Amino acid sequence: MWGYPEPVSRLVEQFMKLPGIGPKTAARLAFHVLTMPQEDVSAFAQALHDVKTKLTECQICCNITEASPCPICQDSSRDESVICVVQDPKDVMAMERTHEFHGKYHVLHGAISPMEGIGPAELRIRELLQRIADHPVQEVILATNPNVEGEATAMYLSKLLKPFNIRVTRIAHGLPVGGDLEYADEITLAKALEGRRAL
Amino acid sequence: MWVQSLYLRSFRNYEEQEVSFHPGVNVLIGENAQGKTNALEAIHLLAVGKSHRTHRDADLVRRGADGATVRAVIHAGGRQRTLELRLGSGGRRALVNGVQQAKMTDFLGHFQAVLFSPEDLLLVKGGPALRRRFLDMELGQTQPAYLYHLGHYQRALQQRNALLRRVPVDEASLEVFDAQLAEHGAQVLRRRMRFLADLAPIAADIYATIADGRETLDVRYASTLPQFGDDGGGGTTLEATAEAEVGTLAEVLLRALRVRRAGDIRLGTTTIGPHRDDLRLTLDGIPAHSFASQGQQRTIALSLRLAEMEFIRRQTGEYPVLLLDDVLSELDDGRQKNLVLAMSEKVQTVLTTTSLFPLTGRLREVARLFSVCSGIIQAEG
Repeated sequence: MWGYPEPVSRLVEQFMKLPGIGPKTAARLAFHVLTMPQEDVSAFAQALHDVKTKLTECQICCNITEASPCPICQDSSRDESVICVVQDPKDVMAMERTHEFHGKYHVLHGAISPMEGIGPAELRIRELLQRIADHPVQEVILATNPNVEGEATAMYLSKLLKPFNIRVTRIAHGLPVGGDLEYADEITLAKALEGRRAL
Repeated sequence: MWVQSLYLRSFRNYEEQEVSFHPGVNVLIGENAQGKTNALEAIHLLAVGKSHRTHRDADLVRRGADGATVRAVIHAGGRQRTLELRLGSGGRRALVNGVQQAKMTDFLGHFQAVLFSPEDLLLVKGGPALRRRFLDMELGQTQPAYLYHLGHYQRALQQRNALLRRVPVDEASLEVFDAQLAEHGAQVLRRRMRFLADLAPIAADIYATIADGRETLDVRYASTLPQFGDDGGGGTTLEATAEAEVGTLAEVLLRALRVRRAGDIRLGTTTIGPHRDDLRLTLDGIPAHSFASQGQQRTIALSLRLAEMEFIRRQTGEYPVLLLDDVLSELDDGRQKNLVLAMSEKVQTVLTTTSLFPLTGRLREVARLFSVCSGIIQAEG
């Protein structure tokens, strides 16, 4: 049976390691690489290499950074007494885009998911507790995702944080801004009602 | 509520097919394996989001095709809508009036249909999973929020079971997944209980009409929660709890999960909760599952389906579309048949049959006939 030349099939196999890429897409990508100019391919390979070698985890917040501590942890104008706990580095970017949060972050690198073999020990929970023990804060905001794993992780953390006697909050879920009540589905409305506040 | 037209592309054995239906009785007539049931399956799919015959979307796609499309123009609540499902290897896309819906729960609830097929006998004599499926499909098409909670419950359940099988067991993690299970499980439980409270008396009435009062049908939720077990009498306590705050029910569930924890760890699986519950069907107090005759079982299944029709009418103000898959010839009893025929005169009905013989009297006069042959549907006359 005819197969791809070895370098091509090796590239196809590598592409297939990426999420959401099956054999067909991987082959399409690999053949596209063949048509790219040499310098683009080199830049691509270099970028892949750098993202792994030039990045490290911040010793304080565990976010990915070029230099540890990361720029956010070094920024003395930010409020050190509030830590917002998120699942992924992408979530830090999302929060930063709002320009509304001026505290510090802590990145867990996932959520508790026994099916995938991710337990509390696989997350940066120990680092968070150590951090709070060393530098007491006033509030911890739990901003994990509103799905089963994210909720379970938030609840797990809130139990661990109880002995510290600090304010532990969960971000609210509910109505999208600019949405009309009548178009909201029943579940979103119920969540919004649950998270209501006094005026 | 009625289906004005149905368009199928690469669905099951259909290549491309469009058919316009009549608001009354529509009869699909043809030999076996020509595509009659597939057409009913497509309509049912738009109502409940699931096939009654398979869990895999790939089974619904015509061999050799990339994906399938099912589209229908439906009338419900005084409005006309176009519902469309596209099934493919890349997942599903659900469109309402051409606008893609973010979640399946946004797609469902616009249109309801009740399907009665020969396999419905399994509702009585089959395993508990089939009866839970009956509850889930029914609640899903009238209450999309039910599907949200059921989905989260099942996810939490998978996570808890994964934890139970990992030694040593991480009890702190178990604690938080128990809480998720209790929260969503309580929602599932309460909605099922309320549904049955409405459905049971309707089904009992219909059964009494067909059986001419010879025996009484009782439909009851059989919970695995220990204090509300199947041993008779205790059911009222669960009903009372279900009517109380959903938080109370969640606490009951959470406590039960804790009590069972040691046993669950030993067995490596979660042994109580809505995923193990059942419907208890009895005739004069005797379990229909093992003691009812074939005819009685068919009457029970029919009573449940016709009760669904009434339930949906009470929920939405309109009767759903009635889909009858090759059942007229099976209904030997004159009363069963009369009841189905009486219902089909009140609602839009699409029925399949291999011959016109079971169609009698007025129904034969008003019915619109369609021939189905090798994946092609043609209006007759």
